Amino acid sequence: MTIHRARAESPVNVKPCTHDYQVNCGNCRLSSICLPLALEREDIEQLDDIIQRSRPMQKNQHLYREGDHFQSVFAVRSGAMKAYKTTDDGREQVTGFYFPGEILGMDGISKNTHASSAKTLETAAVCEIPFSSLEKLSTLMPSLQRHFFQLMSREITEDQQLITLLSKNSADERVASLMLSISARNARRKLSATHFRLPMSRVDIGNYLGLTVETVSRVFSRMQKLSLLRVDNKEIEILDPTALQDMANLGS
Amino acid sequence: MASTSFDSSPVTGIPFGDARIALAAKYACKGPRYTSYPTAPQFQADFPFYKFQNWLETNTDKQRDPLSLYVHLPFCNDICYYCACNKIVTREKGVARQYLDRLGLEIAQQARKLGDKRPVTQMHWGGGTPTYLDNAEITELMHMLASHFKLLDNGYREYSIEIDPRTVDLSTIALLKGVGFNRISLGIQDFDPLVQQATNRIQPYRAVAPLVESIRAHGFRSLSFDLIYGLPHQDMHTMTETLRKVIALRPDRIACYNYAHLPERFSSQRAIERLTLPSASEKLILAQHIAESLLDAGYQHIGMDHYVLPHDELAVAQNEGRLQRNFQGYSLHMADDLLGLGVSAISQIGDYYLQNETDLGKYYQRIDKGEQPLARGFEMSQSDKLRRHIIMNLISGLRLDIAECNDQFGIDFSGKFAREIQSLRPMENDGLVEIDARQIQITPTGRQFLRNICMPFDAYLAKQSGEQPPPRYSATV
Repeated sequence: MTIHRARAESPVNVKPCTHDYQVNCGNCRLSSICLPLALEREDIEQLDDIIQRSRPMQKNQHLYREGDHFQSVFAVRSGAMKAYKTTDDGREQVTGFYFPGEILGMDGISKNTHASSAKTLETAAVCEIPFSSLEKLSTLMPSLQRHFFQLMSREITEDQQLITLLSKNSADERVASLMLSISARNARRKLSATHFRLPMSRVDIGNYLGLTVETVSRVFSRMQKLSLLRVDNKEIEILDPTALQDMANLGS
Repeated sequence: MASTSFDSSPVTGIPFGDARIALAAKYACKGPRYTSYPTAPQFQADFPFYKFQNWLETNTDKQRDPLSLYVHLPFCNDICYYCACNKIVTREKGVARQYLDRLGLEIAQQARKLGDKRPVTQMHWGGGTPTYLDNAEITELMHMLASHFKLLDNGYREYSIEIDPRTVDLSTIALLKGVGFNRISLGIQDFDPLVQQATNRIQPYRAVAPLVESIRAHGFRSLSFDLIYGLPHQDMHTMTETLRKVIALRPDRIACYNYAHLPERFSSQRAIERLTLPSASEKLILAQHIAESLLDAGYQHIGMDHYVLPHDELAVAQNEGRLQRNFQGYSLHMADDLLGLGVSAISQIGDYYLQNETDLGKYYQRIDKGEQPLARGFEMSQSDKLRRHIIMNLISGLRLDIAECNDQFGIDFSGKFAREIQSLRPMENDGLVEIDARQIQITPTGRQFLRNICMPFDAYLAKQSGEQPPPRYSATV
């Protein structure tokens, strides 16, 4: 069973999850699909058939590769993933980072094959919803398809907004925007918005933001000097969220 | 750009004034817009569709050729009084859902027939109002198309959608980019508040400008505006102000349409008070004003009614004589075959034109019975193809290369079309067109009379010579 009970705010009818993962389903972005399913279907066995859970994945293992047939969307349950494309000259271009409760794989929607590859940044686990199961279920639960595409459209929109946000502006603005994005995403799953560990390397951050590693490090140093952040290798503490917002220039 | 002397400008031709108005009066008549040749009124309701099926089954060598898709989304929240499109104005819940279900069946049916290996180099969602669909429905429709056709996510592709600025917010713009569109066409029509009120399409500049900014931020390859002249209450003053705003937003392309007032045919146009419409000569002055203002602002006039910035590939294409035109407008890389999906959509595949049922109820019935929803068809003869070549070259490239035409069709142009050339002579004398042994060239003045210049080559108009063309055509000028 995939429903991970949240300690305080879990819906009454949801069966507790026996697994101990970093995310509970109430905070997962897929929950608009899974929760109605869990509430409406008695037959937990069948529900388990629909939402497939992977075995724990090791670091640097692929979930899917660019060009693979687009047949499922995935939710990260624990750990973190990165998506990347391979450029014409064979270089890796990081296109996104995904944390527990977040959904990935939607970039296949406009071509029916995945437009990027996804691999783990650390030990991770995912849930998978295949379209074929969804279609079968949609006849039983007509609102399901609607929920699903609503969810997809929101995810695609937010991904695109972030890509656009990060593609403009100065190095300072880009790094600050990324830190704020991670902070907001942490807050969404009820984790600390000010204190978190970055699962990705400086190289990945630079690649994603279109900056050199040196520039990323320089920006982090500058942020430390200005007392916006405390950086200890991968541990980040946001000291002055307002000043960070100003640096990201999000108001304009 | 208005020249002080009375000489022809090399760009806009004879300056506006009495001479030009006299020309417009002289050539004012009703005629087709030539988005296709033969034009849609020639399509036959009793067409033997099995001929097309047979052709499709025996011509399997096209299974890898590029394909263009047109998707018609007929619904609108509100009526725009000038509109002559096939549309359904409704706010009833669930209509989009019912339509998407049928569209999904048609998509699956067509993909089986045409093959799912053909790279889709062009796609256009038109309406009605494509953004009548909400974000979830847009995502679902793109998923339907992508799971049945070979959509591309890199290389050359033109994936465009028409947006009614009143129906979208910034999140929709991000979504459209995310699901694969790279071109947006905004229905602006006119920025003047009184004109907007009189046409029931109220969308102030301050609502449009942020959309434009967002479209640019998301890196769409091209932004196009639709404008209309000839609308109620338009005059030089309102048009100047509208153009100022348009130029400030600097779209890559501007399509500038001539409003055709045909209230006897389009009931919504009856809401427009005839007395508030600019007269034919006033319209001509507006058209000229638009041309001069946009050329002054650095746009290049292409085809009949489009203006593009010089960096735009359509400008380059017209300069090289490679511009093409179909139902979707002008294009650079046109796929040979165009598949139209949805109610009233027109396909052009091989030598065939096919049109779906134009009535929504009938379209649903046919789909629900598992049939192809085709209502009318046409098979082009060799003569149709020759005349299409001539008309499309004139409409798109403003020029017909006679030697090339002779080569391609194995004809002697001057002999075969002696009568047509004769009909063009008065237009030549009026400076609209230049004809010699090598080519027919439209002059800058003639551009406004393109439909008139093409009409002699339209065999179906000639057939009804002596009588007025049926009133379904709009005024040419």
